[in-house]
This record gives sequence, C-alpha cells and structure tokens, in this order.
Amino acid sequence: MDIRMAGVTKVFDQDIVALEDVHLSVDSGEFLYLVGTTGSGKTTLLRILSREYIATRGQVTVGDRNLRKIGRSELPFYRREVGVVFQDFKLLSDLSALENVSFALEAMGLPPRIVQNRANEVIDQVGLWRRRFLKPPQLSGGEQQRVAIARAMASSPSVFLADEPTGNLDIRTSEEIMKLLLSINAAGTTVLVATHDRNMVDAYRQRLVELHNGRIRRDERRGRYLLDDEL
Amino acid sequence: MTSFRYALRDTFRLLFRHWGLSLLTLVTAASVLYILGFTGLFSLNLRQMISRVEGGLVVQVFMKKGQNADPVVALVKTMPTVTSAAAVSPEQALEKLRAKLGNQARAVTLLGENPLPWSVEVQVGRAEQIAPLVRDLIAVPEVEEVLYSGKLVERLTTISRAATTASGTILVLAAIISTLVIFNTIRIAIYSRREEIEVMLLVGATRTYISLPFVIQGTLLGAGGALLAIAGIWGTYASIMNAVRTSLPFLDIIVDRRTLLQFFLLLFATGATLGWVCSWLAVSRFISRASRAK
Ligand SMILES: Nc1ncnc2c1ncn2[C@@H]1O[C@H](COP(=O)(O)OP(=O)(O)OP(=O)(O)O)[C@@H](O)[C@H]1O
Ligand SMILES: [Mg+2]
Repeated sequence: MDIRMAGVTKVFDQDIVALEDVHLSVDSGEFLYLVGTTGSGKTTLLRILSREYIATRGQVTVGDRNLRKIGRSELPFYRREVGVVFQDFKLLSDLSALENVSFALEAMGLPPRIVQNRANEVIDQVGLWRRRFLKPPQLSGGEQQRVAIARAMASSPSVFLADEPTGNLDIRTSEEIMKLLLSINAAGTTVLVATHDRNMVDAYRQRLVELHNGRIRRDERRGRYLLDDEL
Repeated sequence: MTSFRYALRDTFRLLFRHWGLSLLTLVTAASVLYILGFTGLFSLNLRQMISRVEGGLVVQVFMKKGQNADPVVALVKTMPTVTSAAAVSPEQALEKLRAKLGNQARAVTLLGENPLPWSVEVQVGRAEQIAPLVRDLIAVPEVEEVLYSGKLVERLTTISRAATTASGTILVLAAIISTLVIFNTIRIAIYSRREEIEVMLLVGATRTYISLPFVIQGTLLGAGGALLAIAGIWGTYASIMNAVRTSLPFLDIIVDRRTLLQFFLLLFATGATLGWVCSWLAVSRFISRASRAK
C-alpha cells in the first residue's frame, strides 16, 4: 500500500510541536529510512501511520484509507494490514517467543492450525527456531527484536513500520535484522524504518528522509546518513 | 467459533495464571453477596412478620336487627383487598359468648329469644387497607355497626410503611455498594492485564475478542462468589433458625424451604449478573480508553 501525508502537523499538550507541515509520499513496495536527531519526530510519524496518534492538521491516507476517518470497528482490520515493530518491542513477558507470535495471529481470529503453521514459519525465518520456547526475559536484546519483527510480519502486512530496529545491537546482529527487513520489502511490502544507525543506512543505501524539529529537511533517493554540516 | 475457543482458553489462563487476583475477586464477591443476601433475607423476614400481624386483624361488621349477613358477604366478595370473610349467625355468636362467659351467659338467654345480630368477620392483607374497607361497609344500609381496633391499625400501618421503606433503602444501598466493590475489584484485575490488552489492540484484535475472556471470567467469579455466599448464609441462617425455634418460638421467621431455595436462586443469578455486567463495563471502558488515538 502507498502512503500519502499532506501538510501533517502534530501538536501535543503544552504546545509541543512534534511534526510540522510534513508532506511525504511513499509508493507501494518502497523502502524508506527515517532519520533525524532525537526528538525530531520519527516515532510520532510512525505512530500517526499506525493510528496510535491522529494528526492535528493535514491529511494521511494509507492505501485507500483516510486515517482520520477510520472508525472504531474498522481500526483492528487496518492494524492487521500494518505491521509495527515498536521501539520498546511490546512483547508479553509471560508468553514464549512462539506464543508471542501466535497470540497476535489468534487475535485475528485465525484457526489454530493456520496459526501454528504461520507462527512456526516466521519464527524460523527470523532464526529463532531453537529458542522458540524461551520467554522474552530469557532472550537477548537482538533476539527480542527478532521476535517483535516476527510478530509484525506474521499477518503478512502491506505496510511494515519499524522503530529503531537495530538500536543497541552489534553490527552483525544489526546486519541480520537489516537483511530481514529488506527481505520483507523484497516481498512487496512497503517498509519504513526509523533509525539512528548510520552504519546500516550507509551500508544499505535506500531512500532517506531526514526530520529536523518536526520538519522534513532531506528526502534523497539513495541518501547517506551524514548530515549536511558533516559533509 | 474459533475465537470463542480462544476466549475460553484465555479465560482459564486469566483464572489460573493470575490466581491471586481471581481469588481476591472471588472472595470479594462472596463477602459482598453474603452481606447483600443477608440484608435481603432480613427484609424478607421483616415483611413476613408484619404481614402475619396485619393479616390477623379482624373487622367485625354487625347487621341491623332482622337482617342477615348476605348483603355484606356479597359486597366483600367483590373487593380484591379482602382475604377472608366469615358470616356468624346469631346462634354461633351465642355459642361463642357462652364459651367466653360461662354461667353469666345465661342472662342473655333469660330474655327468651336470642338478642344477638348476624355479623361478618372480615380480614384483609394489609393494615392500610382497613380504613377504606370500613368506609365502604358503614355505607351499607343493612349494617348497624363496624368494629375494629383503630389505634392498632393506625400504628401497624405506620410501622409497615416504615419497615418497607427502611428495608428497601438498606437493600438498595447494599446492592449499590456490592456493585461498586465488585466493579472496582474487577477493574483492578483488568488493570493488571493492561499491557496485554494494549498489545492486543495494537496487533489488531477486535474489542469483542479482547473483552470476551474478561467477561466470562467475571461471570464465573460472580457466580462462584454467589455460591460461596449462599453456603455461608445457609450455615448462618440454619443456626439462627435453630436458636429462634428453641428460645424465641413466637418469632415467625421464614423456614419454608421453597421460599429459601427461590431466594438463593435469585442471589445466585444476582451474583452471576453482577459479575457479567461489571466486567463488561470495566473492560469496555478500559478498551475505549486504551484505544483512543492521541
Ligand atoms: N505522547 C506525547 N505527549 C507529548 N509529547 C510527545 C509525545 N510523544 C512525543 N512527544 C514529543 O514530540 C517530540 C518528538 O518525539 P518523537 O518520539 O517523535 O521523537 P523521535 O524522533 O522518535 O526521537 P528518538 O530518536 O529519541 O526516538 C518530542 O519533543 C517529544 O517530547
Ligand atoms: Mg523515537
């Protein structure tokens, strides 16, 4: 699905402007890095797309849905089409890695056999087959990250949003995760990755959008992480 | 269908994985329903005692000389408030008088013929129904006199009204408090699962899917609490019945098994319904809050 944002502004309480007049157009099947200093509005932008937040002003459409007009009963079905890897994972700590994935599939009302097959499949794809029965507290940070990715990709979403998926990970693990995200994108999914990871951005060059104080400062087809003043 | 199977499984997960909170809810529901049940049983007994006394009140209607009781019997038969009416012939009245006065009754018969009139003994269910009844009876031309204990009726009417109001108020209060306590306990239980609910919302679970396990759990715990409360009330009430029978035999408390059984069934239904409604309200409120876009 494609994403269109026009004149999007997000103002929080106490007049904190997190996004200001953002125009962003992402075609179906594109891969896009969202970079910018801390507090520049990356998470806010992703949360507007996952409909955790509603834009204060401006239009947001994903596929043929106007996000402002999604009703209470339609929201769950929209969320199934948008896979999200949260900055803080949001895994349930008393469920195993496999259960964290199957739990999300069950919530969509899929029958047990399909749930089992699909959960096994994605857990295997993210390389956690041998650790599938461990619970999040028993997994390393990178492994938890991969459980979160597995859960987000399980429903075969059309849009995939990842918030700092390689934060605090070593280069090798980061590379594995980047390859995973690229393979999700190769299957036709639109992927947005908010990141501070300059190694990854520079190693796997993709379209890059830089936010600065809530505004888009750069939008390059195969951008480098380096900021203007560093060049 | 599939979702319902998941819901049942999740219900048992909720019940047993978090057995501490389940137990808390169960014990709270049981205690609260125990108090509510006892309040109800007390009101029921009060009502019964008062209505026994009220039903025992007799209005005596004396006919004019030479008139039999038929006009009054015919009239009271049409009155819905009248529970019983018995005509007393002069002969029967004389018999009664003799039995009461013994030898002195001879004086009455010295006159030769029986001087006593026909009369009717009328009873109603409630004390407050006596005043209008008396008004209607006096208006009957064949009636000479209507006798009843006015002061007693007045007092009973007041007591009966006060008792109804008081026990009704206490019952309503107990019901409100029970609902609030159960509601808040369930809310705490739901709040402790907030992480899970939030994640479910984020991955696209429907509201029904999320709330069903909580609602089933709430209903089960409400029903379970009611069963415990009934067991407790039965134990306490049985010993009260025993004590009353031996030391206060004149106290007319409810011992009828059918009435008690009906009462307990009602309490059980109340417990299950409270659990159901409270958990449904609590979980929908929580979901609405959690899913509101900022
Ligand atoms: N729920 C909220 N309420 C109030 N202010 C918020 C909220 N969420 C974000 N903000 C503010 O909006 C601004 C942008 O935050 P955001 O989380 O989008 O930044 P970010 O680019 O993701 O930063 P980071 O790289 O540190 O994750 C910040 O100033 C933040 O304080
Ligand atoms: Mg962020």
